[in-house]
Amino acid sequence: MFDWLTPDIAAELARGAVLTIALAVITAITATAAGIAVGAARMSSRSGLRRLAAAYIEVFRNVPALIQIIFWAFAVPNLLSPDTRRTLLFDNAVMDVARDLTGIPIPYYGLAGALALTLNTSAYAAELFRAGAGSIPQSQLDAIRTLGASPFVALRTLIIPAGLRVAFPALSTRLIHNMKNTSLVSFVAVPELFHELQASIQSTFRATEFLMLGAVIYLILTAGMGAGLAFIERLLNRNRMVGSVLPT
Amino acid sequence: MSDQLDFIVRNLPNLLFGFPGQRPGGLVLTLVLAIVGLGLGFVLALPIGTARAARSSLLRRAAQLYIWVFRGVPLILLLLIVHNIFSTGRIGLETSSFQSALITLVLYSSAYQAGVVASGLRAVPEALVEDARVMGASPLEAWKTVRFPYALRVMRPGFTNQAITLFKDTSVVVVLGVADLTTTARIALGSDIDNAPFWVATYLTVGAIYFVVAALIARIGQRRFGAEREGKVGLVGRLDMTSVR
Repeated sequence: MFDWLTPDIAAELARGAVLTIALAVITAITATAAGIAVGAARMSSRSGLRRLAAAYIEVFRNVPALIQIIFWAFAVPNLLSPDTRRTLLFDNAVMDVARDLTGIPIPYYGLAGALALTLNTSAYAAELFRAGAGSIPQSQLDAIRTLGASPFVALRTLIIPAGLRVAFPALSTRLIHNMKNTSLVSFVAVPELFHELQASIQSTFRATEFLMLGAVIYLILTAGMGAGLAFIERLLNRNRMVGSVLPT
Repeated sequence: MSDQLDFIVRNLPNLLFGFPGQRPGGLVLTLVLAIVGLGLGFVLALPIGTARAARSSLLRRAAQLYIWVFRGVPLILLLLIVHNIFSTGRIGLETSSFQSALITLVLYSSAYQAGVVASGLRAVPEALVEDARVMGASPLEAWKTVRFPYALRVMRPGFTNQAITLFKDTSVVVVLGVADLTTTARIALGSDIDNAPFWVATYLTVGAIYFVVAALIARIGQRRFGAEREGKVGLVGRLDMTSVR
């Protein structure tokens, strides 16, 4: 019944799944970090910084992830001359190491895909973080200010922990969406799970079987990621500091 | 530079309306996909979302499973699965790529919209419905005049978000070769090495087109419904960093 799933193909799919998980986890971390930074900038008292952050959010949120991926991977290298492009982005020692390490034939494309996903998801994360921080009671902001905290200290001790905690459920939804969006980097020749599924179909002509298997694997991955994020959410809520308890 | 401008100007009608002889395509087709996907998706989301918020746990579970499946699989994979089922004649249908894409977008968006419908229905204060019943309304009347209109109001910001998200997500139909805006850009550039200098300008243009329409949908949603986008909904108070200083 499973004769179509040869050991070779299973190994390829497993490698693809590992790459999908790695991409999802790495971009979740980079997008959350960038989202907090941009979200904080969006709330800055400097109007220039505020406007820059607003533009970042609007642009990277309103352009489809797929367009952003193709743009960074395929379009941007064309801005360089052929020689510079080759030595800077494709044929150099760093890329060779990355190729051996990740198994991505053209590591630059993997990097470009990760960048695009980070930009896209961080724009959403920034808005969610801002909304989360917006629910911090004014009394707490006044209190930390009265204690003489600098804006940086206020961010580190109150605004980021409390804002992230409130934003976390919505952020989880977005990060799971981001996990599904990693399938789009298959367009730029990154051998993640969806790419490997397509390759398996092309080599065996067993479309139905591999598509169903793919659906099951993705359902497991999204459920797993959901469970992982729920665990982190519990951790965030357990370790909350007395000083930043929000009214529930 | 003028080469770039020339290429964009030459291809702009194709990006917006599709290639001559294959119209509608481009942005117009993208809009058709998004509007039909959202509209029929809403029709499908009503019963599913109602089931999700129902008293019967069997109905709730069934709706939850539907939502979980269609939200747990990437759209790009869903497109291939639906096309594989509907285009091959195994269930008596032989859909075109475009029809498969439409079916997928309806199913996909219905799962997301069902969540919006369910949370809208759950937000209706029970006392309000009971009041209507006390005033002599039948269960159906109470649903029609109180529960549903109230829920619909709560759902509006969610629908605006879904409209924007689905509009952007339609770009993925490129995997089936449906001639939408994204596919048109890919075909216009082709594999011709001479077109390499035009890639950046073309994708900037395509990005700008998506951006303008998405921003427009957000603006309309905000004006019509007073809705704010994802995340801000339901949260009150605003952080003023100047007061932190």
